[in-house]
Amino acid sequence: MKTISVRLIMTFVLLNLAVLAFADPDKVWVTSEDATLQSERSTSSETVATLKRGTQLSVSTFENRWYKVIAPDGKTGWIFRGKVSAEPPADIASDSGSGGIGGLLGGLTGSSIEADAADSSRSIRGLSPEAQEYANQTGTPAESRAALDMVLSLTMDKSDIDLFLKEGKIGEYAY
Amino acid sequence: MHKPHVDRPASAPRIRRRDFIRLAGPFTLLLAAGPAFAFKLFDIIDPEQKNKDLRRTRQVLDGVTGMAQSIEGIDYQSEFTIGETLALEGFQRYGQPVKDQRLQRYVNLLGNAAARNSLRPDIPYYFVVVDSPLYNAFACPGGIIFLSSSLVKGMGDEAELACVLAHEVGHVAHKHALQSIQRAKFFEGAAKVGTVGMKGEQGQKYREMVGDLQTVLFDKGLDRNMEFEADRSGMDFAYRTGYDPAGLIRVLEMLARQQATATHKGSWFSTHPPLSERISRCKAAMADYPDAGEMATAKTRFLSYRDPS
Repeated sequence: MKTISVRLIMTFVLLNLAVLAFADPDKVWVTSEDATLQSERSTSSETVATLKRGTQLSVSTFENRWYKVIAPDGKTGWIFRGKVSAEPPADIASDSGSGGIGGLLGGLTGSSIEADAADSSRSIRGLSPEAQEYANQTGTPAESRAALDMVLSLTMDKSDIDLFLKEGKIGEYAY
Repeated sequence: MHKPHVDRPASAPRIRRRDFIRLAGPFTLLLAAGPAFAFKLFDIIDPEQKNKDLRRTRQVLDGVTGMAQSIEGIDYQSEFTIGETLALEGFQRYGQPVKDQRLQRYVNLLGNAAARNSLRPDIPYYFVVVDSPLYNAFACPGGIIFLSSSLVKGMGDEAELACVLAHEVGHVAHKHALQSIQRAKFFEGAAKVGTVGMKGEQGQKYREMVGDLQTVLFDKGLDRNMEFEADRSGMDFAYRTGYDPAGLIRVLEMLARQQATATHKGSWFSTHPPLSERISRCKAAMADYPDAGEMATAKTRFLSYRDPS
């Protein structure tokens, strides 16, 4: 019984490893927020589509830090290297039941929150009631509370960040 | 007669090397395969749990995944609230935000740009430069990240700053601080911060947990392997954004030059692994970035914020 069980387990794992070893090299996954598909190798070209994190893309070619890809809906375009990875995001991989070590450690290495929760979290302003209560209980000085309020008021939206990168000619804006 | 308690009497059987090897193999392989499937496989092979080896392997695997679940069970809002309270302590320990709002906004833009390409891009991140003579940076759970003014002054370009901010984002993404205190009593029962309040016994446990976090982040430092992992993540997130990942090496080398004369208590010198080892590991990692020399450093823009006229 022992021998059979160990053999079964080893066979299963070897099959898993084989799948990983022969993973399709022509696939990439969107791993960044706010990724877009462009008609040319430039952010100034037409935006073909906005891609959701975790979207699998088929690679046609790779030129000067840009992938030419085909999206699941058949749309073709270019995406900057920094926005994709050869493996799907760990949390999304575990959610979809693809298993693997990423599935086990998904909660530790990635975000376990749903997209909706993340969107609502962006509206946080000022100290939470719990943090205020903690401050009251511990006699936190007013200036530290004011400092945290100031920090939490500094929210950057997508357009601010894009403009910042564009002005500095950083990453996808370097071309 | 009173007998002193011992964990394991000398006469108790020890785990034999053969047993260890017999268990270690399947356990490691099952971990790689995925725990959910592994448990199903156990049920199929040995539904009545009569097999001693499989029963032991199941117990060990259950312990490991249970540990992961205890941290995973914390919802984002609770994680962020823990970060907020730690930040309140951080201002008292390290100083108030510098008054230069232009610099604060710049650091937030850069930090969030790198965070978009991190392992955890779907939460907001907040960065603050505090007025402090210490060379220091740390990340509170949930994404509030502190950076000392001295550390910023010691840097030479935007890539260096991007790498340091991305290093801290890496700690948040990997939930390193929470992992360090996951055995705190507060986490028993996977409590949500918002539902327990700050008064009574649970409030006391919460304050003890925040105290533990302060000890880890402000005094003892995180596990060295967590720091190495954050270094690697920092280089990677910065590179994916478009910055030279060698910026982190330049910062570490700057710190090494300052090490002899700088204050160590409560700084990166006392809470992080030896700089020489970090530099060595980061240099080895540069092999993964063959076009790093073509990546941005944005020195001029950085200096316009570091040394405003």
